[in-house]
Amino acid sequence: MSEMRCDPIVGRWVVLDTDHPKRPGDFPKETRKLSAKATCQFCPGKEHFTPHEVDAVRPQGSHANSPGWMVRTVPNKFPALGRDGEVEKEAWGMFDLMSGVGAHEVIIETPDHERDLADLSIEEVDLVLGQYLSRSRDLAKDKRHKYICIFKNFGSSAGATVEHAHSQLIALPMVPKTVLEELRGSHAYHQARGACVFCDMIEQEYKDRERIVCENKSFLAFCPFAPRYAFEVWVIPKAHSASFADMDEAARKDLAAHLHEVLDRVRKVLGGPAYNFYIHTAPIDYANPQHYHWHIEIIPKLTRSIGFEWGTGLHIVPTLPHEAAGYLRKS
Amino acid sequence: MPQLRKDPIVSRWVIVATERARRSAAFVDPVKHETSPEDCPFCHDRMSGEVYSGDGVKVLKDKTAFFTDAEPSTPRANGLYQISPSYGHHELVVESPEHIANMADLPAEQIGHVFRTYALRMRHHENDPLVKYVLAYKNYGVAAGSRSIGHARSQIMAIPVVPVRLQDKINGAKLYFDFHERSLFVDLVRQEQKEAERVVLETDHFIAFCPFAARFPFEVWIMPKPKHQHSDYSHGVEGLVPELAGVMKTLLLKYKAGLNDPAYNFVIQSAPASLGAEECYCWHIELLPRLTRVAGFERGTGFYINPIPPEMTAKFLREVKA
Repeated sequence: MSEMRCDPIVGRWVVLDTDHPKRPGDFPKETRKLSAKATCQFCPGKEHFTPHEVDAVRPQGSHANSPGWMVRTVPNKFPALGRDGEVEKEAWGMFDLMSGVGAHEVIIETPDHERDLADLSIEEVDLVLGQYLSRSRDLAKDKRHKYICIFKNFGSSAGATVEHAHSQLIALPMVPKTVLEELRGSHAYHQARGACVFCDMIEQEYKDRERIVCENKSFLAFCPFAPRYAFEVWVIPKAHSASFADMDEAARKDLAAHLHEVLDRVRKVLGGPAYNFYIHTAPIDYANPQHYHWHIEIIPKLTRSIGFEWGTGLHIVPTLPHEAAGYLRKS
Repeated sequence: MPQLRKDPIVSRWVIVATERARRSAAFVDPVKHETSPEDCPFCHDRMSGEVYSGDGVKVLKDKTAFFTDAEPSTPRANGLYQISPSYGHHELVVESPEHIANMADLPAEQIGHVFRTYALRMRHHENDPLVKYVLAYKNYGVAAGSRSIGHARSQIMAIPVVPVRLQDKINGAKLYFDFHERSLFVDLVRQEQKEAERVVLETDHFIAFCPFAARFPFEVWIMPKPKHQHSDYSHGVEGLVPELAGVMKTLLLKYKAGLNDPAYNFVIQSAPASLGAEECYCWHIELLPRLTRVAGFERGTGFYINPIPPEMTAKFLREVKA
């Protein structure tokens, strides 16, 4: 008999298969196909193939857009949004539209063509997080931007078209729907109970224990009670904080170590799956930071979204979160 | 310059980014079928669990069902977290006795039988007081979530909750109706007819168009025209089935010919009377070819990047000979 569970933040019901739960080895394996290093435009020495870098970590004396960098951020060559112009809004009859103004950047996580984020050292992951933070803070100054979305696609079935390890950042002129739903849900919870729903979730995860993957001083990783995908993992700061960009140096070091550990566990248990992660954070200059709590959602790409999920928004999850957490804990 | 467009029903913004279609490897492969008629579980009457049969269409109870039709126990809660038993029905619709993979290749008359069967099963399940919603949908091709068996089939799911995407649409339609005292779907069809550039085809009772804020390239919606609009599919489609079947066949053949036999999904978006949306809502079908992969940005934000403007895909589909 399977069961349905309700996400406490947005009120979304999911279906969990409790009869024949899938184990890590039951999912089809995706082997990472590396493109030839010779044609890779993210490798050192190919800096002239990308648009001019907007940020990088380089040793002293190393010049922008030359080799020697450790991590490098460049505008996306095929941007989803344009850099220039004002946000013009208009209506065509019943349809609303606005100019696609924003930023779309690529964070090249390592000069090494062969390694992914999970293969990097903690210090190297910390440099990547440093780019996320400095770009978030810089783009937040632009008044046209309302929201900054940082995400990673690894492996072609997770939507990556370039194999060299990278993540992406999109600055948007509005708040995306999924985040709006979380903001509305957590606002309603705060109104009703005077508490942050994410903080209460953390408390309950400690009480129940069975869905916890790992933790360190500042961060907790757990498999959410009502996940949308098998082996979905959330990484959340233990202390209440609405915005990723507000993170201090000490928390950033803790996050680097924690993310390194979580990605390594996911890789070991699931055999290096394609995956996505994305950071859910409050909108820029959000007025009610007491009810929202930033976090990272990590989604190994193990099953396909089927028509049913597209049509309904109802997800069918073949692995129970406490079992997924058990596998991930033991690795 | 890319554009941001807002879906008028659910207020979802979509990026229409023309630059991005130029990326390499952005599109997925055409469908392959690996099962021969000899090994096909849906040929030769090898199927068990039949719950309905007529006009060459068979409905089977799905063996991999996630839903149980046993009498449900009561919902329970653990602190913040609510749990409910997943009562419901999951059925497989085998669309034809012939070993034909793509619904596009069935005779229009047979497609009509399939769409009539959806309506019959919907009404059947709606008599069950524990069922809140019945969904009819199709996955064609592995990229759309189907197994690679070359025998056309679709699915029915009767579930105990109203799906969030449908609730979103109904909420949007209600807001619009309260404000304008007109149906959003009537206005939508009229505007599509007036502007014409997103229309793929029109018949006496139906219009098929690429929606203004399409999430996916070549996404098409099929909707009854104003005088024939009805919130509920199973009642609204009465008398219109042969015409709807013709529209579906033409569109699916256009996909097959113009897009190299792509994987696709379709889903009927109906609001049964129990949802109280008779005045404001109209049933329709979303037809979604699976040409691009959904990546982290889309999954994480509910915000889609569509690499081709719907005006261009509509023009392309209008011109493809089916």
